[in-house]
Amino acid sequence: MDFFLFVEGPLLWIAFLVFIIGSIIRVSMFVFVSTKKDKIIYQHFSWKYLFSTIIRWLLPLNKDIPKNPIFTILAYIFHICLIVVPIWYAGHITLWEESRFEWSWTAMPDELADWMTLIFLGIAIFFLLRRIFSADIRLISTFSDYFLIIITALPFLTGYFLTNGTLDSITFFSDNIQLIHMLSGELMLILIPFTKLSHYILFFFSRGASGIEFGRRGYSI
Amino acid sequence: MSEEIKPNEIVDFLKPRVGARFKMWLGICAHCGLCANTCHYYTANEKDPKMIPSYKIRFLKEILKKKGNVDKDYLQKVYETVYYECNMCRRCTLYCPFGIDIALMISLLRALLFSQGMAPEGLVKAIENYKESGNQMAVSDEDWVETVKWCEEEMAEELVGLEIPIDKKGAKILYTVNAREPMFYPQDMMEVAKIFYVAGEDYTYCSKPGWDDTNLSMFCGDLKTSKMIVENTFKRAKELEVQQVAITE
Repeated sequence: MDFFLFVEGPLLWIAFLVFIIGSIIRVSMFVFVSTKKDKIIYQHFSWKYLFSTIIRWLLPLNKDIPKNPIFTILAYIFHICLIVVPIWYAGHITLWEESRFEWSWTAMPDELADWMTLIFLGIAIFFLLRRIFSADIRLISTFSDYFLIIITALPFLTGYFLTNGTLDSITFFSDNIQLIHMLSGELMLILIPFTKLSHYILFFFSRGASGIEFGRRGYSI
Repeated sequence: MSEEIKPNEIVDFLKPRVGARFKMWLGICAHCGLCANTCHYYTANEKDPKMIPSYKIRFLKEILKKKGNVDKDYLQKVYETVYYECNMCRRCTLYCPFGIDIALMISLLRALLFSQGMAPEGLVKAIENYKESGNQMAVSDEDWVETVKWCEEEMAEELVGLEIPIDKKGAKILYTVNAREPMFYPQDMMEVAKIFYVAGEDYTYCSKPGWDDTNLSMFCGDLKTSKMIVENTFKRAKELEVQQVAITE
């Protein structure tokens, strides 16, 4: 089979399955082990403290906004772009329509997608530079912290090149940029369950657990 | 004090204690650094990066990764961090986007060190006292009751009719003190007696272990003793059928 067809077909399936099944396993593992070793969560379980802590941190209603406004607001924008662009970008929706699922939903304007991509990349570079040049963050950074910023930014960078033909004057890129874009996206999806990127789903469980832990003392975090 | 560190001992100690939350937290900490300026050790040490809460729990991750294969010098380093660079105030958790409970992990590290015979001398002595007498200063039950009686006599000279109830069944409040009070600062107990008397509160002390509300064993993660101390107070509260337990300070 042609490598392109492999990346476009089976590898995409593999990537999505690893992402979805891996995430389910991570969550099941947490729930399974916590019922045995973290009984305190269930003994003091409270939907009130669980929801209030998740909502407060999903929306910018938390303590970090006044404490570290610049970083926090950039982090919010970063995550919004990260989620919105891949899902509502018109080119992606077309592919879903053509797929066996024939799913379709309203697309965002291409121009907005372009801008959000650039903003996303700008913030990613800022995060990377911050890791390199801030003595504080450098000390706590591990290899995977640098690596994962690049992994996360690559699909956006290559996607921008692909849609805008930025690198088309170089034959290698004009031939392969779509392939590279797909590969980078698949790599990111595959890495999510195995790395700190799993926080996309474990965030809710981590916050919930601590929300309940503080909630049992009557304090909502 | 064990001279040799046995990796399997460390693993056996950590295994039942490292729950799903700890594993998750060590895995998802994004090393974003938002916890840095929430730590008073960090701000008080001219923003020393080594004081970043997220950095301090690297030990737990390393020990788990090395399967307990660490030496005494390493544990000494852990000791210095978990005792002198963190007082488990949990402020960083309030600012962590994931709500990672660093203090809980520091507490586990303290418990691990305690199991390896490493803990501040004062705390070890206090734990011995708790186990022996139920209070941190090793005050005997007789001495305790005598001290309360003596406080009562002293105060009755000032406020006629003042009484300090002991083991009064059905009182509203069970009042507990820091064991240092009968030992070194009985005047504190007298002041409190005065307040209770003037306020007309229905309260009582208890004569048996449970009257000391400090829980120093908690600070080295000795949860067994910690539990015993709290249970003592609950037992007394039940026996005396009080509605509330009040603690000093």
